[in-house]
Amino acid sequence: MLKAENIVSFRQYLIAIGITWFLIIVLLVRFFQIQIIGHDRYRKKANTNRIRKITTTAPRGLILDRNGQILVDNLPTYVLTAIPGELSQKGEKFGLISKTIGLDSTIVSRNYKKYYRGRFISTRLAKDLTFHQISKLEENKLNLEGIYYQQFPERYFPSVVRASHILGYVKEVDKSIRATIKDKSEYELGDMIGWNGLEKKYESYLKGKRGVYFYEVDALGREVGYVEDLPPKKPEPGRNIITTLDINIQKTLENLMEGSRGVILVGIPETGEILGAVSAPDFKPDLFTGLMLEQDWQSILKHPDKPLINRFNQGLYPPGSIVKMITAITLLKNQEFDPEVEQICEGSYQFGDRVFGCWSTQGHGGMNLTSAMLNSCDVYFYKSTHYFDLDILSNSFRKFGFGQPSQIDISGESSGLVPTVSFMNKRYGRYGWSKGALLNISIGQGELLVTPIQVFNYVNLLATRGIAQTPHFVRVDQLPENIHPNFESNIWDRIVSDMRAVIVDEHGTGKSAQPNTPGFKVFGKTGTAENSHGESHAWFLGWAEYYDKKYSIVVLVENGGSGGTIAAPIAHQVFSNIINYNDMAAR
Amino acid sequence: MIQAQSFELKDLPIKIIWAVVFLSTIGLIVLKSISQHHIGGVFQNPFSKQLLFLGPSVIGAITILFIPRYTIHKYAYALYAISIIFVILPFFGNPHAGTYRWLNIGLPFAIQPSEFAKIFTAIALARYLSDHNLEMKNFSSIIIPIILVLIPTSIVMNQPDLGTAIVILAPILPMLYWSGARPFYLFLLLAPLFSMLMAFHNMAFTVWAIVLGGTIFVARPKTIISFGLFFGNIFIGLLSPFLWNSLTNYQQNRILTFINPEKDPLGAAYQIIQSKTAIGSGGLFGKGWGDGTQTHLKFLPVQESDFILSVIGEELGFITIFVVLIVFGYFIVQVMKQSYLSKDRFSSLALIGFATIFLSHVFVNTAMTVGLIPVKGLPFPFISAGGSFLIACYLMFGLILKLSVNYSD
Repeated sequence: MLKAENIVSFRQYLIAIGITWFLIIVLLVRFFQIQIIGHDRYRKKANTNRIRKITTTAPRGLILDRNGQILVDNLPTYVLTAIPGELSQKGEKFGLISKTIGLDSTIVSRNYKKYYRGRFISTRLAKDLTFHQISKLEENKLNLEGIYYQQFPERYFPSVVRASHILGYVKEVDKSIRATIKDKSEYELGDMIGWNGLEKKYESYLKGKRGVYFYEVDALGREVGYVEDLPPKKPEPGRNIITTLDINIQKTLENLMEGSRGVILVGIPETGEILGAVSAPDFKPDLFTGLMLEQDWQSILKHPDKPLINRFNQGLYPPGSIVKMITAITLLKNQEFDPEVEQICEGSYQFGDRVFGCWSTQGHGGMNLTSAMLNSCDVYFYKSTHYFDLDILSNSFRKFGFGQPSQIDISGESSGLVPTVSFMNKRYGRYGWSKGALLNISIGQGELLVTPIQVFNYVNLLATRGIAQTPHFVRVDQLPENIHPNFESNIWDRIVSDMRAVIVDEHGTGKSAQPNTPGFKVFGKTGTAENSHGESHAWFLGWAEYYDKKYSIVVLVENGGSGGTIAAPIAHQVFSNIINYNDMAAR
Repeated sequence: MIQAQSFELKDLPIKIIWAVVFLSTIGLIVLKSISQHHIGGVFQNPFSKQLLFLGPSVIGAITILFIPRYTIHKYAYALYAISIIFVILPFFGNPHAGTYRWLNIGLPFAIQPSEFAKIFTAIALARYLSDHNLEMKNFSSIIIPIILVLIPTSIVMNQPDLGTAIVILAPILPMLYWSGARPFYLFLLLAPLFSMLMAFHNMAFTVWAIVLGGTIFVARPKTIISFGLFFGNIFIGLLSPFLWNSLTNYQQNRILTFINPEKDPLGAAYQIIQSKTAIGSGGLFGKGWGDGTQTHLKFLPVQESDFILSVIGEELGFITIFVVLIVFGYFIVQVMKQSYLSKDRFSSLALIGFATIFLSHVFVNTAMTVGLIPVKGLPFPFISAGGSFLIACYLMFGLILKLSVNYSD
């Protein structure tokens, strides 16, 4: 059986042990390469392997009104996350989650895909969970391995006002937003970034600083303790900002504009502070927090009145007669112009081959500057300005801030349009337009386009004789420099007294703006701006003096009709409210 | 011929025993470190599990010393057949972690029959090659041994367990060589494998065809056989891309990840990267016993068996790795020496077979640990924790001791 003799030669034996030692040496060389030569590299890698950086969201700063009432607050909500590396039977777990908290499971899996950045990085599944929902999940904790939750401060609006276009909203940083951010370390996916309004403008104040914790983790991503060399850094909440808004005034404005389209701006002329601003229609500010339903979003987007547009700094409107003070100032600057000389208004004026109508078709009869102002007679202005060069008039407009941004602290502002000779040449060709355009512009029609915030600055400048500061919502150390039109005081006097006449004269177009309160003096001007969208836009601008205080106001009702009958009464109501409010405060 | 068994302790190859004692001790030290924070039962704790299995292992090895050598020879084929049946059995049960490697017989642990099949395949081969005092210069005479080894190999490959399949297959080459087969025939055995691998690259395949043709030309077989060999190989090569497509994704992934491990750092290559990180961060002297962060924070996968060498590398450093591999090389070479010195052919062949099994285990496991070859899922002999595997290692150890003792019977 075992008689077969061994026939292995010494040479074969040598080859066998040669191969053995060769293989062992190959392995040793490889170990040497990794352990000795590559030691530094792998040591670093081992360190990053076991340290996980966890960031916690800092609550954003609050936004307050001028009296310290909270306009925007933070609400603690919960975010549900998953560590992909710890997650097995994903589908089942997502199903259980959605069943437990009553959320569509497609949302969960969609979020998982959207936020996935790596196997051991926590990935958001759902947000805005309530404490109740979290406690329900906690009951199923054993079946939800790899699922975690974190507190997340969410924007919350406790106030009675919406102020949606002022406050703006925050948006979640997604991949495409993050790509546009310069300092990537500042924002992570899922963070909130101010996307509009004050939230955007004062992002750097409101944002705060994320807290950072370095955990030592095992390969399953389970935290096993802090890293001693890297102490945790608590999140720093953002700074609060105090706005110039007054909740009471803001509330009044919002109520007044309910159901209409348009703008009301109320402020303090000297300082440029805005007490209330509404762009109607507006929207609930919490529309952009939480889980907005697709249908809500669509209804906002498709709304014919475009509620998302911030009308007071983006809307472009023909101003109509409210700019006649500029035309008047331009006239008064001319030494030869006599404001007392009457021009006859017959309801229209033939200039060249065109007929320019007055708003009053039967005519105003003999008009001087004051009566033309208080009647808002167009023909007077046609007749007085037809010798002007267009650029003289457009210069005057620019002196009051038209045609340029007002530098309001909400971005997205439009510049409006003040036509000049070169602009008209460019648009219509050198011989494509006639001087008739000048007549239109002198009464605030034609190519002239303004934004309500520009009008607000304009009325502030009129009320303060050119020294008003830039309109703003937040008092900052260094306001942008406002324009300061400078005229002789008799010119200012004339304009101010004419604007007072608009309110108090029995023929004054703005007389319905005056509340019946002794000592409350209103100055103003109405405007009825023709436009291509139907009914005229109703304008009222002006200010009120009450004891030592001044309040400026701009009212615009889109397609509202006559400024005197539609816009001026709104100003009246705003003023009445300010009076009541002041009286209450005095008591 | 049949005499009473007599063996004396002094006859045992003491160097081989010391090597195994050393390796087993290192294994226990490392497993103790891994098990520090383990909670759960005895079978969940690698250290206590290892201690528990060392008992039957050592008893098994000693028992073998009392079995007559001719008995081993006599039952070689029967054991081979039984082990094949056991390897097939798991296929009738439920898959375990997606494979049919494990046989559950109601014990708190499962048995891996393929671990034993590799021993009995080597013994069966040794018997066949020693019984048939064949003229190994003939190519056709190596066909039966090849069939003998391919049966368990192909079954195990289908479990699927590529690593163990390689280990079962490996002894055939040195054993044929030991039996006097021409190296040219061994080359022809390997040729189809190369033909398949090279087929995926046009240039490499051209070079390979030239090498193949050249070798056949130098060896000068009959013209018709030369043509057959050459074109047969080319045909296999051309066929292999189609075979590739018939592989499972799991198999394809393992091979592909090997080619470019960084491609999928969180998939299959995750293990290799973690292993290299653990080893590399250990440096010359290691981070100290029980202080390996990659190990204890569980970055290192299957650390108690497949990647135990990475734990040694991380905690005990290059120094220990060096000693372990040198000791293992020494152990294998000692077994080869016994094989060379052995009087009878059966023992000599079985010994070189076992040496090859150990060498392939060590090489495949270590090379995988350091990212030289794809992850195979093979443990490191005597050091890795394992039930069936540890017992199989000690059975081979016992057989080595038994067959090393030169006495006449």
